[in-house]
Amino acid sequence: MPPPALRLNAVAFVSPHNHPILIRTFAQPRADELKYHYIAHTSLDVVEERIAAANAAKSTECYLSLLYTMEDVAVYGYVTPLRVKIIIALALTDTVVRDADVITIFRALHTAYRLSVANPFLKANTPLEGVNDHTAMLNAGSAKWKGFRRRVDEVGRALAGVTTSSSSSTQFH
Amino acid sequence: MSSNKILVTYTSSPAFLSTDHWKQVHAALLCQFPLRTLHWKSPSRANIETIPQVDVNLVPLESLRDEHTSQIPQSLLDKPLLNVYFVVCDDNDTYKNTVRKQIRDWHASVSQLRPDGKIGQGRMFQMKASVLDKIKADLNADKKDRCIQVAWSTDYENPAAWAELINKFKEGILSAFDSAFTQREEEVKRSEGQRHMPGWNFCTFFILKESLATSFEAMSLCEEALQHYNDLEASFFRVLREKNLTWFGALIAPGSEDDSTPLLSVSKKPYRDLILANSISIFDFRVYLLARQCALLSKLSRVIEVCRKAVAFLSGFGRRLRELEGTIPLFFVESWTYSSALSVVEQVDTWANDVKMGKPALARFSAVKGELLELAQQQLDIIGIRVGHLPSRPPFSIALPAPTPESTEAQEPPPGKISRTELLSAIDDKEAFFDLYVQIINRAIELYAAAGRRKFALKLHGNLAALDLYVASYMSTFCSQSACRALTVHTSAEKARDEEWIHIVLDFLRTYVEDMGKELLMDVDDQLSYVVGLVTSLIEAARGLQADLLHPDHPALSLTIADKAVRLAESQDGALLDVIVRNRLPCDLSVDEVIAVLVGYEGAQLTFSTDATTLNPGNNKVTLFCSSSTAGVFALQASQVKISKLTFEWKDARLLTATKNLKLKDVPTLVRIPKDIRALDVRIRPPQRSMLWVLITFEVGVPAKIMVALHTGRNDIVSAQIMLSSPSGVQFHFSEAKLDGDGSAQLEINEDALTVSSVEADSVVVISLPHSDASSYHTLRINAALEYTTVSEPDITRRLGFARFVATSLPMTVNVEDFFRGTRLFTRFTLSTSSHQHVRIRSAHLETSREDEDNVKVTGCHAQQPSVVSGKFIFQLDSARGQAGDPLRLRITYRMLREEVESLIDVSMAAIVAETPHLLPHRDLLIDKVVDALSSDAKWIELYGITGELVVPDIVEEEGDIGDGLRRLNAILAKKRPGDYPFGEWREIIIPVDVPRMHILAAAHLRVTPNPWVSPQAKNASLPLFAGQPISAVVSVTTSFHWAPLEDEKPQGCLLRYDIEDMTGDWLVSGCKRSDFQAEDGSTFTMPVTLIALHHGELSLPKIAINALPTQGGPRMGSSSVPSCETYQMHGAEKVLVLPRGGRSLDNLPSETQHLLSEIRSGYSAARDPVQKANEIIRNSIAIPELPATPAASSGPPQKKRKTMPVASAGSIKLPSPAPMSAAPSYGTGQRSRVHTRQSPLRSRRVTESAGPDIDEDAEGEDDLEEGMDDSGDAEDKRLYCFCQKLSYGEMIACDNADCRYQWFHLPCVNLKPPLPENWFCEDCISRMKGTSSTLPWSMLVLEQRCDGVASADRFILRGYRARAFERVPDHALQQLELVTSESPPW
Repeated sequence: MPPPALRLNAVAFVSPHNHPILIRTFAQPRADELKYHYIAHTSLDVVEERIAAANAAKSTECYLSLLYTMEDVAVYGYVTPLRVKIIIALALTDTVVRDADVITIFRALHTAYRLSVANPFLKANTPLEGVNDHTAMLNAGSAKWKGFRRRVDEVGRALAGVTTSSSSSTQFH
Repeated sequence: MSSNKILVTYTSSPAFLSTDHWKQVHAALLCQFPLRTLHWKSPSRANIETIPQVDVNLVPLESLRDEHTSQIPQSLLDKPLLNVYFVVCDDNDTYKNTVRKQIRDWHASVSQLRPDGKIGQGRMFQMKASVLDKIKADLNADKKDRCIQVAWSTDYENPAAWAELINKFKEGILSAFDSAFTQREEEVKRSEGQRHMPGWNFCTFFILKESLATSFEAMSLCEEALQHYNDLEASFFRVLREKNLTWFGALIAPGSEDDSTPLLSVSKKPYRDLILANSISIFDFRVYLLARQCALLSKLSRVIEVCRKAVAFLSGFGRRLRELEGTIPLFFVESWTYSSALSVVEQVDTWANDVKMGKPALARFSAVKGELLELAQQQLDIIGIRVGHLPSRPPFSIALPAPTPESTEAQEPPPGKISRTELLSAIDDKEAFFDLYVQIINRAIELYAAAGRRKFALKLHGNLAALDLYVASYMSTFCSQSACRALTVHTSAEKARDEEWIHIVLDFLRTYVEDMGKELLMDVDDQLSYVVGLVTSLIEAARGLQADLLHPDHPALSLTIADKAVRLAESQDGALLDVIVRNRLPCDLSVDEVIAVLVGYEGAQLTFSTDATTLNPGNNKVTLFCSSSTAGVFALQASQVKISKLTFEWKDARLLTATKNLKLKDVPTLVRIPKDIRALDVRIRPPQRSMLWVLITFEVGVPAKIMVALHTGRNDIVSAQIMLSSPSGVQFHFSEAKLDGDGSAQLEINEDALTVSSVEADSVVVISLPHSDASSYHTLRINAALEYTTVSEPDITRRLGFARFVATSLPMTVNVEDFFRGTRLFTRFTLSTSSHQHVRIRSAHLETSREDEDNVKVTGCHAQQPSVVSGKFIFQLDSARGQAGDPLRLRITYRMLREEVESLIDVSMAAIVAETPHLLPHRDLLIDKVVDALSSDAKWIELYGITGELVVPDIVEEEGDIGDGLRRLNAILAKKRPGDYPFGEWREIIIPVDVPRMHILAAAHLRVTPNPWVSPQAKNASLPLFAGQPISAVVSVTTSFHWAPLEDEKPQGCLLRYDIEDMTGDWLVSGCKRSDFQAEDGSTFTMPVTLIALHHGELSLPKIAINALPTQGGPRMGSSSVPSCETYQMHGAEKVLVLPRGGRSLDNLPSETQHLLSEIRSGYSAARDPVQKANEIIRNSIAIPELPATPAASSGPPQKKRKTMPVASAGSIKLPSPAPMSAAPSYGTGQRSRVHTRQSPLRSRRVTESAGPDIDEDAEGEDDLEEGMDDSGDAEDKRLYCFCQKLSYGEMIACDNADCRYQWFHLPCVNLKPPLPENWFCEDCISRMKGTSSTLPWSMLVLEQRCDGVASADRFILRGYRARAFERVPDHALQQLELVTSESPPW
């Protein structure tokens, strides 16, 4: 058996108002895209549950841990301080997945998002009305702006190339 | 397997055991179990574990003897933790002889059995203390009290009786457990440490470690137990990763029922034995491990975790199993997952019965159960697709695992079958499958709904819907997007392609063009043809629509204006608008109509449209036509594209917002439509001849009207309907409309419209249309709506709507002034324009009514040239007495300059066209150009108004016929037109004018006479008049009653009062200043008065005001008690020359005057205030009733300086001003008065003397001397002045510093010569200012400077001073100083 690697199947960025910003799949068959739309969509329920639980516990933890597993993917959630939800689907393995590894992935994705949405030109052609509109973040995922996709793809590629922490250093308690 | 009870053995002497007592004791003892609340404090563990409850299995020692043969580590509790020996002994002897031996034997056997086990207590039952002591002494070897006496009582349920025993039990059990646990833990650690040594067996390790876990479990320490299992699981994975799996059997050796047994049952297989035999499969092992964990979790009431674990395990391990699909029975994995999931749900439900859960926990519980059911449902998906019950399409195919590279089909189906019956039947029977599927999904949905997971439920609903759809129609295409799916649903339902279908298609196209669509059509093979087909059928469907269908804001098409300048359709009325229609569909779209609606000022709407066209993908330039265009600026309001009855519409949202808050960014698209001069037009103007109806009585009944002119332009009109309305409420009398002039046109009159038919091109039809009174409005706004059809295009009805303004008020104002002169009346009419329009006035005539022709004769003063803008017309009226009250009529002929110029251009143009007929087509264009040029600049008006030369300014040079025509037109226009303007139409207005009436006309005359005794009739002698001398004059008032109204009886006379106007600056009036007198028609009243001119110069005589007084004894002049009276000042324009009074010329004065003057002069010397003195004298002598309060206040310019020359600039004339004058400034500022009262008389006289040489230079010396000797005032002033400290002499100058110690200086002493500077400081003061300035009153100085106006010289000083003494200047002074300096101009 090869050493288990975290395989990233899909990433979804969802705005605070539950608009999809970007859904990116890394699995090969194209038809899977729909599946990950489904997954991202259904995850929102769990994400909301978790956020509510976290709020009740006064926790400020971004990482929402494993949301649920579905068939061959394990879905993990992460919510940025500004309530943008990042949902990733990892290929389900029969082994223990360490949270630390998943958090690392999320951090990378969050950074990718931050860098992209900081682009001042995203708002260039949008009307000025409304202070808290989310056009910029929605724009970031649109086909017109490639930077975000590129960054997310980079994260996906990096993950595919590197296995998780080598087995020697893996410790179980 | 171990039970969860702690094993405790008991022993006693056989004799005791057989007694009834023992039975009682045994029963009583059992009642004490289970033991509660044990506190286990282990030295190897940090904290105290509290064991809530543990059950005890009390067995006789003999029963255990033969069991312990196995080497397999059992639970720690399998062996007895405690052995008890019951002793009943009454006396020491018995004990010594038998019991002690028995105990020792028992102890030995127990110790041998379990060396580490605890020795049970000896037990004295109802025995004396001495026996107990002995037993204790015998047995308590290691300082532990192991013997307990139980006081037997019949009340064996009393816990107090057993408390000590129970405590001992607990103690013993714990201590035994602790030691056993410690030992076992050591073993486990040792075993784990040997992990990498060859021969280490995971299964052995597992059993060893599990024994710990089971022990904990037995002790109710489930947390601990679970921890051990989790550790085991982790170890397993580690081992798995190290691939050290030799001790396991196959991954799975599926048994016949494996796939359908409940997952969480730990007893479904002899797992332990399998493990011990090293033959357990990984599958079984994992299942066992999970089951154990879940069992423990359930004991901890953590059912949610159970589910979560189960889901993770099922999906995770199921995936693992799939790798072996070829070797296990078909659908084994699916069946196993399915039944396991269901069994877990059942299991947790039973477990959860005992568990109280809060609301959120309950929701979570439902959610995980839902997940389990969904997992089961997904298995059904897989099975369904594999078997063919379900299509391999989303959403069913989502659950399908990624296809493995090697196909399983090639292999033989592995032996064995799944055992789940419902699945088996479902595989065979489609209906059963669907039932099962729906059932599972519904359960899941229910759970998700309970959990509040809307989206999960939604997804499953989607599955259900898809299933329904599939079941219903065996559709093959599914699309995730709702629109697309709805579309296919609709198609599959074979419903008609009706309106609803069109909506669905449009929604689909909307999503399609909004770039998401392409992704969502992923399962349609040929997207393009699919969409094209859809669009085609959409168009077909649109044709079949019954009613119009409006679809707003569809993104597939969009319309923008390409060119902001609208072109005119030259050949016909109308305008062309270029727009760009963008088609975002991938195919051509043939549309029936493209429409753009423009909106303009005051809601005017224009509709531009084009006929059927085809829109290619991308941008299409389309030219739209509007048959009836109005010139102006318009904004795009809405656009439409019509496909048969389907209409796409877009509204320009910016237009709506723009009216509220216009931002520069959001300005709507504006287009400009030029004026089409060849188009049909309607002009409305007032009629040529108008009257002021209000005042005219005999012409009432001729209503006001307007002229409506229809200019056909290029159109041969079949018929044109004109509807007019006025928002101001003025009514038009259509029924009384009349065609003006002749022509082929026919007029039809409707209720509210005029219809003109058969009018040729380039003709004008004029209709006069009466309307109700509109005189209260300045201008009349008329909204006109026009509909017309032309001969060339009879099927197009063109509509125009526009607003016209007609001036209803006079374009000019008339001012009337009447001047009565005896029986004559001069009336002056001043005409001026009342608007910004220029008016040409040709003539004005004043006409009498017929009856009055004899009575009133009107003579026009002189004929005037027609003039632009204004005119003054004076008429002389001679009237005999008894004139009638009929008004006169003023007839003015005028026209607006604009109209005149327009007709001039028309005439000129006609001349040109007559010469060169080929210019005819350009006629209107040329006129238009010239008019444009004229209206852009107004500088031609002045020249035109005077000479009639119309020089068109700044006209653009052009080539060809037009340029030629322009040049010729200009040449004609620029010709001189001396005085005559034969062309064009003049307007006339008739204004009624009343002949004014006046009861009394008084002509007042003030005549200057040589002496008071001259008769009034004597001729005015031109005698010299001198200022200050009395002048005799005569006031004469001639009264006439000529203009009194006829109806009043002839007045016999009335009381008048005359009043000579005070001209305090010029004249003193002495005599009868005001008096009443009786006036009669034609009588003259005279009264002599005396005037004294106060200064020399050309003076106009005082006016005389005459008022009629109320007649005594009742009204005699008509109804009013005070008759109207008009005064005519006959001397109004006269002026008399008053000469300055010279010294010598005094002798020529009449003796009376000389006397008066000498009185005044003596007054000088006698009194300080000569004014008072003079007044006194005058009052005494003439008895003036009222003296001007301040006779000198307004006499000439106030003297600013103390210096002696009030009119220094005049230079040549040194005015011998009378003393009161020079005293005048003493009423000024207090500061000055001090100086003046002391010195003014002195100096003024000096100046008088020095001024003397102007009259007689030779006499200067003597005069000076003479006067000096005579003047007693001089003798008074003994003060010394100037640096030289001498008496004052000659012309002197004062220092402008009020605190100057010298005050006055002789001119030679300070090196000054006339003319003197206005401001001057003496050297002493200057030097002091430069030095210490503490004594200088700053504010005074500044104030003075302000009053006097600052001359440059001392401003310099001031500045210099300010610069030096800046710090010491008080703030307020500084501010004032600032004021001063800032007010004065820069220098």
